[in-house]
Amino acid sequence: MDLLSQVAHGFAVALTPINLLYCFIGVFIGTLVGVLPGIGPVSAMSLLMPVTLAGTPESGIIMMAGIYYGSMYGGSTTSILVNIPGEATSVVTCLDGHEMAKQGRAGPALGMAAIASFIAGTIAVVGLMIIAPYLAHFAVAFGPAEMFSLMVLGLVIVTFLTQGSMLKSLLMASAGIVLGLVGLDSITAQPRLTFDRLELYDGIGLVPVVMGLFGVAEVLSNIEQGIKRTVSNADIGSKLPTRDDWKRSKGPIGRGTVLGFFLGIIPGGGAVIAAFASYALEKRLSKTPERFGKGAIEGVAGPEAANNSAAGGAFIPLLTLGIPPNVVMALLLGAFVIHNIQPGPLLMVQRPDLFWGVITSMYIGNVMLLVLNLPLIGIWVQLLRLPYNILFPMILLFTVIGVFASSNNVFDLYVMIAFGLIGYLTRKLGYEAAPLVLAFVLGSIMENKLRTALIISAGDLTTFFTKPISAVCLSVAAIMLLMPLIPVLRKKREQVALEDGQS
Amino acid sequence: MKRTALALLSAAILAAVAAPAAAQNFPTKPINLIVPWPAGGSTDIAMRAIAEAASKHLGQPIIVDNRAGGSGTVGPAQMAATAKPDGYTIAQIPITIFRLPLMQKTTWDAQKDFTYIAHLTGYTFGVTVRADSEFKTWADVVKFAKANPGKVTYATPGAGTSLHIGMEQIAAREGIKVTQVPFKGGAETNAAVLGGHTMLQVESSGWKALVDAGKLRLLMIWTAKPSANYPGVPTLQQLGYPFVFDSPFGIAGPKGMDPKIVATIHDAFKKAVDDPAVQATLAKYDMVVNYKNTADYVKFVKEVIDAESKVVDMLGLKKKE
Amino acid sequence: MKSSGLRINNAELWGGAIWFAISLFVLEQGRQLGLGSINSPGMGFMMFWLGIVMGGLSLIIAVQSIQSEGPSVRSLWAGTRWAKTLIVIVTFIIYAFAFTRLGFLLSTIPLMLVLLRAIDPVRWTIALPLSFAAPLLIWWVLERVLQIQLPTGMFEIG
Repeated sequence: MDLLSQVAHGFAVALTPINLLYCFIGVFIGTLVGVLPGIGPVSAMSLLMPVTLAGTPESGIIMMAGIYYGSMYGGSTTSILVNIPGEATSVVTCLDGHEMAKQGRAGPALGMAAIASFIAGTIAVVGLMIIAPYLAHFAVAFGPAEMFSLMVLGLVIVTFLTQGSMLKSLLMASAGIVLGLVGLDSITAQPRLTFDRLELYDGIGLVPVVMGLFGVAEVLSNIEQGIKRTVSNADIGSKLPTRDDWKRSKGPIGRGTVLGFFLGIIPGGGAVIAAFASYALEKRLSKTPERFGKGAIEGVAGPEAANNSAAGGAFIPLLTLGIPPNVVMALLLGAFVIHNIQPGPLLMVQRPDLFWGVITSMYIGNVMLLVLNLPLIGIWVQLLRLPYNILFPMILLFTVIGVFASSNNVFDLYVMIAFGLIGYLTRKLGYEAAPLVLAFVLGSIMENKLRTALIISAGDLTTFFTKPISAVCLSVAAIMLLMPLIPVLRKKREQVALEDGQS
Repeated sequence: MKRTALALLSAAILAAVAAPAAAQNFPTKPINLIVPWPAGGSTDIAMRAIAEAASKHLGQPIIVDNRAGGSGTVGPAQMAATAKPDGYTIAQIPITIFRLPLMQKTTWDAQKDFTYIAHLTGYTFGVTVRADSEFKTWADVVKFAKANPGKVTYATPGAGTSLHIGMEQIAAREGIKVTQVPFKGGAETNAAVLGGHTMLQVESSGWKALVDAGKLRLLMIWTAKPSANYPGVPTLQQLGYPFVFDSPFGIAGPKGMDPKIVATIHDAFKKAVDDPAVQATLAKYDMVVNYKNTADYVKFVKEVIDAESKVVDMLGLKKKE
Repeated sequence: MKSSGLRINNAELWGGAIWFAISLFVLEQGRQLGLGSINSPGMGFMMFWLGIVMGGLSLIIAVQSIQSEGPSVRSLWAGTRWAKTLIVIVTFIIYAFAFTRLGFLLSTIPLMLVLLRAIDPVRWTIALPLSFAAPLLIWWVLERVLQIQLPTGMFEIG
């Protein structure tokens, strides 16, 4: 009962006209920056931070939060339309989302992405209300050893995403980790693999890598194939998912939501792993895993649900412990501080109006996002009617802008072209880019955690097996690595048996 | 007639698009402030509060860019290597920028590669444990460490930070061996001690909210005088150690900045630390304004390097040539 | 399925060989950066072991490619319009080179013209206005609305 009255109180705060307005501005800007590559929620929130000072703390934080989860909706749009992921979490949406668009099913893909996001976002808010206080421990349960093992599991999961050989995926993932290590070392501040190029001291940028491997490489392959992908106007007609799409997506949305919520709580890289893990899970559970990578709607619904509910889960460590799990949450923390509020264990007690007001506003914000995004799908889909010879220069221009806007450095333009070429060539040889991107994002965190974990355990490698969470992660990873071998062995045995019988 | 109109039009376009003279109009776009610690620690919170106030005087937003790692040196080192000295990229300069070059090979020269702008404030350091820890007082830690050499792990925001150096000095005096675990900053060390991954956290006052909520226990603080916020907590001197550790910090840009731009930024930050609202936020974290102007800051850098050189040498951490 | 043996234009084999070279490089870099000790791993620790893992994986790929038929290098490009792809890549590299020297507008407008005309030619009546309008619009949005400065180049235009 106590909870209900607090929620009611929260709605009373969130539903005041001024807070509704701020909420709308937030989700609107969020959708916008989600669609524009290179300009993420972080830069938008930083720029708008001073604006939030004008109003009450509630309004400011409601708006900032709106930008964050709003950008999660927008991020999938470019992934589906032109194979350019807005951020690391929507890389996985490219795999099947863009395939669907190629088959003229951009409408259902976009529609399902929006609906999955809505459902997951809403459920995550409910989860946040009910169980947030109990999950504070979960957020800090992941120490260096646990984080390292989780990252290992994440990378093993990635190798399941692709259609090609697992060996090649593992190689791409290893290369991704190495690329992630370029720059100044996180412990000693000395340069690694920088070859005296000062630009590399910052490390290689994520945006140029992703734009190159996905956006540019896709364009290069399409040009080479000639224009096979003129989508007829009739195909584009249907904007909404069919009944069959719904049936397929129910499970993935549910599982993606739960997965995303819990992984989102873990500081550093949780949300990215959530999207990939959801995809891998759906592919494993599917009766027709061969459809994945060729336009399976489950591959859009699951990961989209996962990354949106992860955005909800990410609030838990911030609101309950004052520990921000990612950069966006850190900005929110900054907003709290500027308003002279200390987020932490006492926030719920000291400022219940703020706590519940922000949380309930997210519920309202998700409704706004759905209303905002569904009509937009019609407009986005129209874009695909452009003939490819007009569309592709626009896509390339889009990548140039995204790369330059994110870093203001022409060096990144070269990086993007280089990765465009790498992406094009590796694709030819059957090496897929997704594992490399995830490993690239996780690589430097993983390395740092490995070293810290070994310092804590005084060089004792068994620490990874004696800590329960870590042991579970590693065992699952080992099972997943060995599993593909079992059917091969069994098949060989059957084959031998068959041949014996025939002879 | 038509030709003049065209000429006028093109002149107008040119005027509109030409880059404005840099120093006079500074700043014309948002300024990036690199904070080399993860978000949510005490430095981050303090710098955000100061930056917010300074941006009002500059008329442009200041964007805090958290680039943690290398004990707070990765961010400034990256700035020194890559940023243009146009005033649009500045960084918080922790003391490790001066100390690390004494201990190991680094990519920067503290006296040559930065344009120092203003000295701002310093930290209050403290040692915390989780509330359910068996260590009730600092004496418990010492007793345990004597019985189990090297078993006590303490989380710091990085190797070579004042926390690391200070803790090693205390340990040397007690004759105990403790193991440092370097993290990237306060948000991470908080999580490490809360999750039971390390026994102690040695950090600046980013632990405040958690101590206030009773999730962490503060064993000692490293200031000269007891904290007004935590009157019962002993200082190092009260525990019998002849030390006071703090770690003052300021801001700087890449080398070769226009003195006019330096003055503009300096003035804005000076006004910011004079702002009572900012001082109130700092006070919450037991931080006191320790302002020095540009010239004094440069002089101070040299003094710090000389002093640190002796300490590092004494602990045997000095770089081997 | 015929056994192919060691074939010099086996694309898979080349892939494995290139990866093997990369892994040796990574391993050597890791070694140079310093492995540290097990209770305090150094900067090259992770890279060294990754180099070993990558080396192993690439060798397996190379061996597999010898055992079973892989596509030949030539077949990968057979029947494709590789010349057009090459044009796009070269144009793009020239563009990156010109980007800061000529400025955003003076380099992007020609880029758009080349891309629109050289691959699958678009009518001039569409290509021309589009190559001017799109960069100008983007320039306006970035420079004026978002305050992101684009390079102006030596003629200081844009």
